[in-house]
Amino acid sequence: MKPFLAQPPSRFRTRAKAALANSQMQAATDAATFRLHQGRLDAWDALQDVEALRERAHAIRMETVDNLDAQVAQFAAAAEAAGANVHLAGTADDACTYVADVCRRRGAKLVAKAKSMLSEEIRLNDALAAIGVDAVETDLGEYVAQLAGEHPVHILAPALEKTAADIAELFARDGDPVEPELEALAGVARRRLRGVFENADVGITGANFAVAETGSICLVTNEGNAGLVTALPPVHIALVGMERLVPRLADLAVLLQLLARSATGQPLSSYTRLLTGPRREEESDGPEELHVVIVDNGRTNLGHGKYREMLACIRCGACLNVCPVYRKAGGGSYSPVYSGPMGAVLVPLLVGLDKAPSLPHASSLCGACTAACPVKIPLHELLLDLRRDLVGDGVASRKERIAFQLWSLAWSRPRLYRLSTTAARALQPLASLAGPGRRWAAGRRIPRLQKRYRDR
Amino acid sequence: MTHASLVETFATAASAAGFRVHRGRPPRIEGAAVSNASFGLADTGSVVLASAPDEPRSRHLLADVHVSILSEVRILQGLPELFAAVGDDLPSALAIVTGPSRSADIEQRLVVGVHGPREVHVVLVP
Amino acid sequence: MPSVQLFATCLGDLVVPEAVVDAARLLREAGFEVEFPRAQVCCGQPAFNAGHHAAARRVAGTFVRAFHRRSPLVCPSGSCATMVDRYLPDLVSADGYDIWELSAFLDHHDANLQPCNAGRQLAYHDSCHMLRELRIADAPRRLLKRSGAELVALPRPDLCCGFGGTFSVRQPELSVAMADDKLGGARAADALVTADPGCLMHLAGRVERTGGGMPVLHLATALARGIEP
Repeated sequence: MKPFLAQPPSRFRTRAKAALANSQMQAATDAATFRLHQGRLDAWDALQDVEALRERAHAIRMETVDNLDAQVAQFAAAAEAAGANVHLAGTADDACTYVADVCRRRGAKLVAKAKSMLSEEIRLNDALAAIGVDAVETDLGEYVAQLAGEHPVHILAPALEKTAADIAELFARDGDPVEPELEALAGVARRRLRGVFENADVGITGANFAVAETGSICLVTNEGNAGLVTALPPVHIALVGMERLVPRLADLAVLLQLLARSATGQPLSSYTRLLTGPRREEESDGPEELHVVIVDNGRTNLGHGKYREMLACIRCGACLNVCPVYRKAGGGSYSPVYSGPMGAVLVPLLVGLDKAPSLPHASSLCGACTAACPVKIPLHELLLDLRRDLVGDGVASRKERIAFQLWSLAWSRPRLYRLSTTAARALQPLASLAGPGRRWAAGRRIPRLQKRYRDR
Repeated sequence: MTHASLVETFATAASAAGFRVHRGRPPRIEGAAVSNASFGLADTGSVVLASAPDEPRSRHLLADVHVSILSEVRILQGLPELFAAVGDDLPSALAIVTGPSRSADIEQRLVVGVHGPREVHVVLVP
Repeated sequence: MPSVQLFATCLGDLVVPEAVVDAARLLREAGFEVEFPRAQVCCGQPAFNAGHHAAARRVAGTFVRAFHRRSPLVCPSGSCATMVDRYLPDLVSADGYDIWELSAFLDHHDANLQPCNAGRQLAYHDSCHMLRELRIADAPRRLLKRSGAELVALPRPDLCCGFGGTFSVRQPELSVAMADDKLGGARAADALVTADPGCLMHLAGRVERTGGGMPVLHLATALARGIEP
């Protein structure tokens, strides 16, 4: 079965073209990414030594990446000691089956979901729908995207392309008409979703981090929805990608100092929550049952290879906010769930290069992402390595490989270089007719080959 | 940093984070939910609430207005100090609250009080 | 007299040879003898950045055979200087080169410049290689000011112009849209100046297609002859 994240080769370009023609989306994406980018710059500037912090953060992440199995085992033991049920899911299906089983056993009809990119990666909502469970997204942006039947387009701003009018129209489908005004819309969301929190049989969240030392789950939001999802329903299921583990609480402190600053520019988000086990005796709220599902879905494999630094990602969105390609193409041009530079690296690694061959080339290799990453993932270098693997693994087209081989032969000797470029000059008028020449010439004048410097 | 200046740093940071900061006497606000904070964090102006039989997890989220009572002596520098203090004895839910409930999901414009409280207060008691 | 070896780069040799002539002249005026090793072809970057490692290695061999190490190398391209400095040695298993991007070299040697840009407002575009890999942003600006120009800051100088090597033809629509944003930001200036032939070819090509009229120059040309050469 073709993985959900797979991206046919031409899809990126096709969707990007549509995005370029959508001026409202262009303006919204530019404004959103610039605001968040500036927020990060200001917040990093205000730190005493952001470079030292980034180095430490990188080291902390790599400690986990290089010791995944041990970290998972340590976390499981600590979480179970605190009263949680821990399930290790090898695949997406595994994880969905476990969650569905819990829901079935509890007779669940309604699930309140706080944001979880992992849950989208494993297509959890579909699995729940298949057993008659209604899973409602409670993050405002995710709720809007869900109503629209669309995937989130940005890690932090899931519905950034929607206008207030769009949102009012979506809200009106399920109830009374509502003014396309900020406060009115927020009020509708608050009322409706409050009902979901109060009536949900099960609350499902992701995890920003999971602390191996204490068996704790860390959830970060500005809205407070994760707090209500984990306070009111009698069951809480946390989906944790294996790589989200952090060795110690002291390490979590370092990462939390960078996460919100890198994401939105805030020193901390409004709510940073650390959950350890289900409700305790005599507590009046909190879940009776806590399930932590640790999901592999290709991460162990990734962890063994030369791309394992990609597992250090803390999903802050900083790379999306600086990417000049994301800014124009928008999140919808990439694979669903993971977009921007981190998506261009992660998706081919999760589904195989042959299933997402255009993503490593959905980049001008400008390097802004690497400079913005709080945990110092060398994103643009990983993209370059992926491009090399596209060729080495035989995914790049034969035509392309032959073209570069011929070019390299022609340019391997000064005399051949001379001959081939003289020929090119003669054939110049034909350049715009096909292939790369035509694609260049659609928007730009083809450069005129002149008398070479060496001949002057 | 002396403790007095730690308290001042906290007050400034909490204010910047969106709390209304009071000294000594809690404001009388009808319908407000009131919690006793476990700690305050000076670096970020955060209020730390630990779940307990008398402190439900949801208290600081359900009402429109929330008030945290914080003893000045419980103000720590930041996250590393907090985790060192609570690490061996974590509550079931530790909430580090840094302002009101917010969202910028609608046209990137800030709206306050989406799921949680619109208004948050912290009362510093000596 | 001290001497340098000039690396024209393939785009320099073929597409902006007049900029290479200007670079050579600036170097001579700065007091250097300019040697042009005739066996040079290309550093291999186009193939390297496209993932075609073996092809890149074959072409990079020409670089190794052409250049010696008895004098510094200077090239009028931030991207090629980066390639030679950072990636070429490992690619061909050779020792490193003392290679300089042109503006860094001229600035380092306090080159005297003619005030050919007096009264002109110039916008300078940082190429991604110059900005992030080589971290050369001040030198070209100092040189342009020394040549009399008043600098007009581009909005969002951090944003790539959209060339990106093969990106320009794999995602041509995005590439051109990025060029338009970059050019739009330069509207207040008399000309747009860049130190990278790749960016130059892409931006100038877009201007010519849209009939925009904004001159787009290589830094070497702007410093040697000004806007209307």
